[in-house]
Amino acid sequence: MSIEFLDIHKAFGTNKVLDGVTLTVEKGQIVFIIGKSGAGKSVLVKHLVGLIQQDAGRILFEGEDITHYTEREFFALRKRCAMVFQHSTLFDSMTLLENVALPIRKHKGLSHGDSLAAARDKLALVQMHEMAARFPADIGDGLRKRVAIARALTLDPEYVVFDEPTTGLDPVSAVRVDRLIRQMSDDTGVTSIVVSHDLRSIFGIADRIVMLYQGRIRLDGTPADFRGSDDPVVHQFVNGLPEGPMEL
Amino acid sequence: MIALLTFAKDQTVGIARVLGLTLYYIVRGRTDRRVVLEQMWEIGNRSVFFVIVTLGFLGAILIFQTSFQSQRLFGDVSLVGPASLPLLCRQLGPALCGLMVATRVGTGIAAEIGSMVVTEQVDALRMSNAQPVDYLVKPRFYASLVMIPALSVIGVFTAWMAGLLVSTAVYHTNPSTYLNFGMVRASDAIEGLAKAVVFGATIPVIAAHSGLEARGGSEGVGAATTQAVVNSSLAVIALDFLIGGIAFVVKAA
Ligand SMILES: Nc1ncnc2c1ncn2[C@@H]1O[C@H](COP(=O)(O)OP(=O)(O)O)[C@@H](O)[C@H]1O
Ligand SMILES: [Mg+2]
Repeated sequence: MSIEFLDIHKAFGTNKVLDGVTLTVEKGQIVFIIGKSGAGKSVLVKHLVGLIQQDAGRILFEGEDITHYTEREFFALRKRCAMVFQHSTLFDSMTLLENVALPIRKHKGLSHGDSLAAARDKLALVQMHEMAARFPADIGDGLRKRVAIARALTLDPEYVVFDEPTTGLDPVSAVRVDRLIRQMSDDTGVTSIVVSHDLRSIFGIADRIVMLYQGRIRLDGTPADFRGSDDPVVHQFVNGLPEGPMEL
Repeated sequence: MIALLTFAKDQTVGIARVLGLTLYYIVRGRTDRRVVLEQMWEIGNRSVFFVIVTLGFLGAILIFQTSFQSQRLFGDVSLVGPASLPLLCRQLGPALCGLMVATRVGTGIAAEIGSMVVTEQVDALRMSNAQPVDYLVKPRFYASLVMIPALSVIGVFTAWMAGLLVSTAVYHTNPSTYLNFGMVRASDAIEGLAKAVVFGATIPVIAAHSGLEARGGSEGVGAATTQAVVNSSLAVIALDFLIGGIAFVVKAA
């Protein structure tokens, strides 16, 4: 069982972002999608949950072609494949608990009270239950990210997409988030697709790495493959070198 | 020129889509009354002072200038008050209020929704099975539909009262001569109210469309608010013209 992107093309006006991306994500893995800012990593993963529609190409979700799904059909899929966004996308007007409860209420149609009880359990999973009544503005970025992860886990998804989960976090919070992702994967067998350019996370927790460059896959392999690669672009990226062939 | 036409077409199609979805969710979805009340408070509170000040001054200017002309042409200003009320009700009140509210309410809605778009909160809503139009646009639509006509009534009243001040202070009109409702017909009030209701329905939809189209970072939000003002002002003027025309034909028939 897996997710397959087949020759995905996407342009915004004249800005060609994806130019034939083919990629298979196997179940149970932590797959990193790496590349410089603006490479199209977020655009690629948003295709999977129907937030963006491709211009050409096909996407298979466990063998089912979701290419022409309607918004309504994607609803069902979004229960199985959750997404943690790059920005802290908690709703400012709701408490942390209500934020986590929203998808439970909307997707499962539970009552307000039942959804809050379920949300409390999920907050406990990320050790945030004691702050349930606080508002997003009152806590730090690292904690907000944990709550966003809890919200993504509310429906027990089989797949979770993390868009730059550690960007903007201090190093300690970042390592904690990495550990949370790894631990979740090991405990529940959830498949994680992690968009990142954080080298420490990449080599810390990835099972497999896919590098996006100029709208295509530059290299797809294990962390060891990336460390040993003699492709100058890959070499420059994984070593964080300022000089090299990578376009700005 | 072609690019401009294409842009205008895309905007119109986009706005029609948001309107269609809003109406769909009005029929289909449930409505959280608390959120609508919050938005009503938000819109009313944000605009009432602004409407009173702008319409007050505009009313004062209107009455002053009309009285000036009337004095010159007829040597008499006693009809200015009664005669300006139908004009204010039917035409100037709703149109000017519509334009003022288009800037005040329109920018507010576009900025709020636009910043939710660029910070991916709208994507997060969609992931939570909450449709952005249902969740964000519908409550603002209901709220504007009530509050914009209410603001228009307040605006017309303020303008006329400011005119009274000018008229009595500058032209020494007797207030009882000015405060004469005799020239207002029901059709004037209906036409004005119809306009205000239509503006109340269009401004939030147009502004929300601009907000939903926001791209990029905070510049994207800025561009969206500008777009919202331009589009909703154009719409107010075009609809004012259209409804005025329809009313004219209906009355003639
Ligand atoms: N909704 C959109 N409309 C227009 N352009 C977009 C949109 N989303 C992303 N882009 C553009 O696509 C390119 C890739 O963006 P993105 O996938 O966010 O990069 P990153 O790899 O940093 O996540 C950027 O040039 C961005 O401006
Ligand atoms: Mg991104």
